[in-house]
Amino acid sequence: MYIHVNQRLDRPEINARRRAPLRHALAADPSLGIKNFSTHSFNLDDPASPTISTPAPTPPTMLQTIKPKNARSKRALEAREPKLVENQKTTLFLRGTSTSGIVQDALGDLHSLKKPHAVKFQKKNAVHPFEDASALEFFSRKNDASLMVFASHSKKRPHNLTFVRFFDYQVFDMVELLLDGETFRKMTDFKNAKAGVGLKPLLSFSGTIFDTNPTYNHLKLLLLDFFHGHTVTEVDVEALQYTIAISAGDATDEDPQPKIHLRAYMLKTHRSGHKLPRVELEEMGPRMDFRLGRRQEPNSEALKLAMARAKSQEMRSKKNISIDSMGDKVGRIHVGHQDLGQLQTRKMKGLRKRGRDDDDGREDVEMDDDDDDDDVEMGESVGDVPAVSPKRPRV
Amino acid sequence: MASAMDVHEPQRLSVTVNKPIPLTFDLGHLAAFDSNPLPPTTPSTLESTLQSTARDAAQLLINQILTTVPLHSTQDGVFATLPEPITDLPREKPVPKPKEPTKWEQFAKKKGIAAKAKDGKMVYDEATGEWVPKWGYKGANKGGEDDWLVEVDEKKQADVNDNPRNLSRAERVERIRKNEKQQKKNERNAALGAASSSKAGYKNRRR
Repeated sequence: MYIHVNQRLDRPEINARRRAPLRHALAADPSLGIKNFSTHSFNLDDPASPTISTPAPTPPTMLQTIKPKNARSKRALEAREPKLVENQKTTLFLRGTSTSGIVQDALGDLHSLKKPHAVKFQKKNAVHPFEDASALEFFSRKNDASLMVFASHSKKRPHNLTFVRFFDYQVFDMVELLLDGETFRKMTDFKNAKAGVGLKPLLSFSGTIFDTNPTYNHLKLLLLDFFHGHTVTEVDVEALQYTIAISAGDATDEDPQPKIHLRAYMLKTHRSGHKLPRVELEEMGPRMDFRLGRRQEPNSEALKLAMARAKSQEMRSKKNISIDSMGDKVGRIHVGHQDLGQLQTRKMKGLRKRGRDDDDGREDVEMDDDDDDDDVEMGESVGDVPAVSPKRPRV
Repeated sequence: MASAMDVHEPQRLSVTVNKPIPLTFDLGHLAAFDSNPLPPTTPSTLESTLQSTARDAAQLLINQILTTVPLHSTQDGVFATLPEPITDLPREKPVPKPKEPTKWEQFAKKKGIAAKAKDGKMVYDEATGEWVPKWGYKGANKGGEDDWLVEVDEKKQADVNDNPRNLSRAERVERIRKNEKQQKKNERNAALGAASSSKAGYKNRRR
């Protein structure tokens, strides 16, 4: 069944909307057997609606041997294959069955920070990540997303954002962050210019607790993974437009788990009179204060595999193909110098080379036409110098 | 913070930040790690404290990028070459496995047979003195298939009714089929090998 799913997805991360008809088409075909996952949401009012308790389909071993039937599906499959140098992680944003407006706004803001490598689901999902994450693993596989933010709201865990990482489409680790509804300010609350889409932020983690407390250290690494974007070799200095500052106070006896403050600021640089600019900040939002909720640490086996590095992380790049600053693929085609001497012009009887070639003067005129550095006039040279072919190397 | 005091002097704004514990940087991720405790705050001063802490970190990070990293300017702007990240982050998929060797490759390795160098598709035909493709249209492997006179080879001819003209071609087609079969077998073995090696792995763990 996976074969059908995989072959029909062309660019899963780009166009979520285009996939929707496919999902319905798959649902209509019971032979494909994935009707439980026909859409990513479930209607609670409908008693016939399937529940999420159905385990996610385990990847069939056939997956390794499937042969793409056309070039497009071949490219789609290749894009998903494990690579030495990996693609940028796609982030999936989705919500549970009950969410508050606050947590939805927070989800939307995080999504806009993560664009364009992000997919946001619009419908509700009856998922409880800490009870059964198989549905999330399914979404991860289907969208090739290895980061996920799941929003939910309940009396026990109000304004809850669950940050999930995946390894090989399996849950790697999860951290629940409970948003403070009172202090939350969304991006649009700050009336100023925002950073460009898809730019790498400057990140800062402030607070001793990120080094001393293993839980906070875990969170630090998770948020670093979440926000750092793609690992690049070069960055435009002009593109350093904003910073995401994550800070936490110290643990005290009455507050063993201090709040985590997430702030995003635009950078304003001023001439300082020194060589370096003076940096000032202007808050652009979102403003989020979190309390830590539940947490699931990575499985030691998965951790070992995920942290494994290949012996040579350097992959031989394809010759003459590069990606320019706009992210466009540029190919350099070198066609070489065209030898006009060999050019086939119109065949005429009068120009045909004769077997008995006694008047070599005419031949030489023709050949020496493209020989620029020959400063001797042809008419004079014919008589005294023997004809020299321009192909022969000159001493 | 010390830097905030110099703002009033318009000519020379401070670009230095003094921190008891110096910050550590991971320029590959454009990240700064500030191990200093957050200054004590009240709800009213929280935002200004957070902003000044973030400003200091951003200033130091910008200073670090502009001073320690090679910069080069192009038509499109000034680019900073970032170093490799220091903080290891988990991969999203396992490191790709090397391709399983085919049966021939295994055999060649055992016998110490070196792989033939690829020397192109064309081959020199001594008889005609021309370069012809090794296979395909007018390929060298089709020698004798369209000869006007064919010798009857009784060993090759299993059935008396077989057309001796077609035997040469039939032999070649049979070789192609055999090779395809071997290819499929190799693919199957590679898939089985990959499955069995990952059986104990993370992918197939019991949940």
